[in-house]
Amino acid sequence: MSERITRAQIPISELTITPGSACQGCGAALAARLSFKALGPNVIRHGIPCCPDSVTQTPRVGTVFEGGGAQLTGTARALKAIGREDVLAVGFYGDGGTYDIGFQGLSAAAERNENIIVITKDNEAYMNTGNQRSGATPKYARTSTNPIGPRSRGKPRPKKNIPFIFAAHYVPYVGTASVGFPEDLIAKVTYMKTIKGFRMLIVQSPCPVGWRFDPAKTIEIARSSVQSGIWPLYEILDGKTFKLNYKPKELKPVTEYLSPQARFRHMTEDEIADIQETATANWENLLKADEMGRLTL
Amino acid sequence: MIEIRLHGRGGQGAVTASRIIATAAYEEGKYSQAIPMYGTERRGAPLTAFVRIDDVRVRERELVHNPEISIVLDPLIAKQQAVVDSLKPGGLVLLNTAYPPEEVKIGGDFKVATVDATTIALETLGRPITNTAILGAFAKITGLLKVESLEKAIKKFFPGRLGDMNIAAVKRSYDEVKGPIQAVVKDAPPEKVDIHVGGYGVLKDVSSWRVYTPEIDVEKCIGCKNCWIFCPETAIQWDEEKNKPWIRYDACKGCGVCANECPVNAIEMVRVEV
Repeated sequence: MSERITRAQIPISELTITPGSACQGCGAALAARLSFKALGPNVIRHGIPCCPDSVTQTPRVGTVFEGGGAQLTGTARALKAIGREDVLAVGFYGDGGTYDIGFQGLSAAAERNENIIVITKDNEAYMNTGNQRSGATPKYARTSTNPIGPRSRGKPRPKKNIPFIFAAHYVPYVGTASVGFPEDLIAKVTYMKTIKGFRMLIVQSPCPVGWRFDPAKTIEIARSSVQSGIWPLYEILDGKTFKLNYKPKELKPVTEYLSPQARFRHMTEDEIADIQETATANWENLLKADEMGRLTL
Repeated sequence: MIEIRLHGRGGQGAVTASRIIATAAYEEGKYSQAIPMYGTERRGAPLTAFVRIDDVRVRERELVHNPEISIVLDPLIAKQQAVVDSLKPGGLVLLNTAYPPEEVKIGGDFKVATVDATTIALETLGRPITNTAILGAFAKITGLLKVESLEKAIKKFFPGRLGDMNIAAVKRSYDEVKGPIQAVVKDAPPEKVDIHVGGYGVLKDVSSWRVYTPEIDVEKCIGCKNCWIFCPETAIQWDEEKNKPWIRYDACKGCGVCANECPVNAIEMVRVEV
């Protein structure tokens, strides 16, 4: 389990080289900055096609979408062969490379329990190519492939529950984080460094261009997503030990998360009620699991 | 055949502007073509788009290499792109800047017109999207298009209230454009183009990306580190001795996250005239 840290414990030193080529107010650039700050310099960064986020001082190798899991596996085994297991093989992938195209390679790596770290910056669509839907896109969101019209109300299917899918591989660590909660994110990455095996962290990173909101509101939206129960922060160890890291006394209404984003602007009252119902039911399930401290997958 | 090149940034709508011009020309019974130049156009990154207008069918399918007219949607883009490069002699440059055409520093054998499109866009649309706010000026100084056909084209792209706001921006820029006059500077130094401004990876300087610039009131600062931890570009640096932030302005893209997250409003986003 990750241990709580305070703002003062976050190291001042940076591993990113800026300015990078991300958009203004990019959540993924912040996710990269915070994650690599916590990972430290002993890292080989792996990338697959994704938005350009923060550039790091670490060595970086890249491959195709489908090869993400395989390449990480190769690096981790090579590092073991030369006796340098102090160096971490880290994959910093987008949601397309985790939820959809890269899924088979990562799933296989998770099943083999390779000694790797995967961090996903989840901006909920294929943003680099112009906001096409992905498995991570939430229900009713407008994308360029789910326009709004008489016969289309945005994406018809809900977001894939990828943390639970990977937890069902019974891997040592799966966690969710948000750029709105940097202490939690850094605590989780720091904990991931102390254990071995397949470790995964999904970081929700708002995208001002694709989600269509004012770039200044990036953090506000990331925070309201957690506070309304749409993106709960939790960690799952070995597919059974469960802990909720952020438990407000009362959840905020989902409208606080939905209304600033133009991708949800078309939603009717019924559709908002549907999202609210799903979020609340999911939250109650998670609270129960948190009380027991374990999960039955 | 009239060939037009548009310079702008991702998010300013240069590609939309090129399509509106082409659509408006079509509305007047002409043949037209709009070509965006795709690369890594993220919000803020420099980009170009092209338009061809002719009375007969346009057979060309390549990019425009020697335009007659260059439209510049961003006041600072001239620092990063060659906006008058390979312009035909006697051509025309329409700049988005608050300065009158007499004070424009770029020069050569062409005419210059200016319009403060950023201010017009901020006052009519509320956002610094300068594409429609430069089209009215374009219609007036070139005489190629009627404002009515521009309005028709805009209504196609932006239905409803948004269209009306954009049409208001077109009308204002039609009235406020200054020029065109022959460029005052005769032998301007050749334009320097920095290739490290687009594409992936580390960029040299992004200070020209921003419309609003953050300014810190250090007296008000309580040292909570919110601005520092939430800055996506590490533009806000932390001074551990003083326990106060300072800003690396070359890395700041002006997103405004710091000002939005400051609990005591010690950071203000100011529009600096350029």
